[in-house]
Amino acid sequence: MPADFYDVAIIGRGPAGLQAGIHAAGKKVSVIVFGRAERSSLYRARIANFCGPKDVVAGKEILETGKKQAEALGAAFLEEDVIETKTENDGFTLTTESGKTYASTALILAMGVARKKLLVKGEKDFVGRGVTYCVDCDASFYKDVDVVVVGNESAAASGALTLLHYARTVYLVCRKLAISDSLFKQLQNSKVKLLEGTWIKEIVGSQAVEGVVLASGETLKVKGVFIELGAKGAMELAANLGVVFDAETFSLIETNKKQETNIPGVYAAGDITGPPWQIAKAVGEGCVAGIEAAEYAKKRRAEGR
Amino acid sequence: MGKGILEVTDDDFKSTILESDKPAIVDFWAPWCGPCKPMGSIMEELEKTYGDRVLFAKCNVDQSPNIPTHYGIRAIPTILLFQESKLVDRVVGLVPKSHLEKALKKIL
Repeated sequence: MPADFYDVAIIGRGPAGLQAGIHAAGKKVSVIVFGRAERSSLYRARIANFCGPKDVVAGKEILETGKKQAEALGAAFLEEDVIETKTENDGFTLTTESGKTYASTALILAMGVARKKLLVKGEKDFVGRGVTYCVDCDASFYKDVDVVVVGNESAAASGALTLLHYARTVYLVCRKLAISDSLFKQLQNSKVKLLEGTWIKEIVGSQAVEGVVLASGETLKVKGVFIELGAKGAMELAANLGVVFDAETFSLIETNKKQETNIPGVYAAGDITGPPWQIAKAVGEGCVAGIEAAEYAKKRRAEGR
Repeated sequence: MGKGILEVTDDDFKSTILESDKPAIVDFWAPWCGPCKPMGSIMEELEKTYGDRVLFAKCNVDQSPNIPTHYGIRAIPTILLFQESKLVDRVVGLVPKSHLEKALKKIL
């Protein structure tokens, strides 16, 4: 078993992940929470409809307080995104952006939902003809050509590194990178051409993508545009574990009243399970998921895992 | 209720899809593609309803690279819809079931 083992691992440190952390840690199991506060949609929100706080509260404050509460109960925090999940040794193995691996008995998916689209001119016209949203899916279609990846976070940075195995030149366009130091070092030591402090303004081409125009006015001649905003989301991380999605959009995770998914030991809470997109709903689900995941881990431990 | 989803390759694509008596829907996928998994489930569900009227097929782009190249596929999942040997519609990426169903109804 790897050195870094936890009874309960939580992906996402928004309100659902934090509340899950508080309740799981309160059950005296070991807990780790992955992710960055800035990634939560609560970070920039102002909350006036949450039972308890009298005045309007900055979401950021709730996230900070929640972290301290979970820490006081013994939960560990890691400011890194998880970029890979695997089912292994009867539990789960998670790899973070810096390449570290962690094992857990139970897993709570609380990474929320993120915007995928860049919303720039040309994007819609070239979907599947050069514009893609999944490095893992589509890298092999771009062998020996020039491509650009756009995004500020771990999905873009790790995606650019993956593309080096396929494409001839890989550009990474970002406003400001928000990734771990070790992932940044990997980027610096790689052949990825980093263009920081700019953004894509337009995607151009006739039949297929021929290039992108940057905010700086510069044009990059590329055949592929990989849009990788934010961290890896539900689709990439949960689908690998065999987690079932909702029957209509197939983008939200289905759970029962215990926040269990179809995979034993995997729970989901917060925006990732669907609307309403409210802190009250997220913490409610987080509470249940935290308690249930802790009980599951304890039971497995008693069985000799 | 049809016969499930047929696996097609570079070698038999012409004989099964282009020469099919029925309209055909083909899901281009790969085992390492996360969004392809739910898309595959959507195909299976639609097959239960429309399988008697439409030929449902899937093509593994790893094992059969030529057909995807021919149709300019550069993202998966991609779904192509054929009617009387002709490509009539293309759906790229993971889409809701209702979206694919709408496209499918055009070839019924």
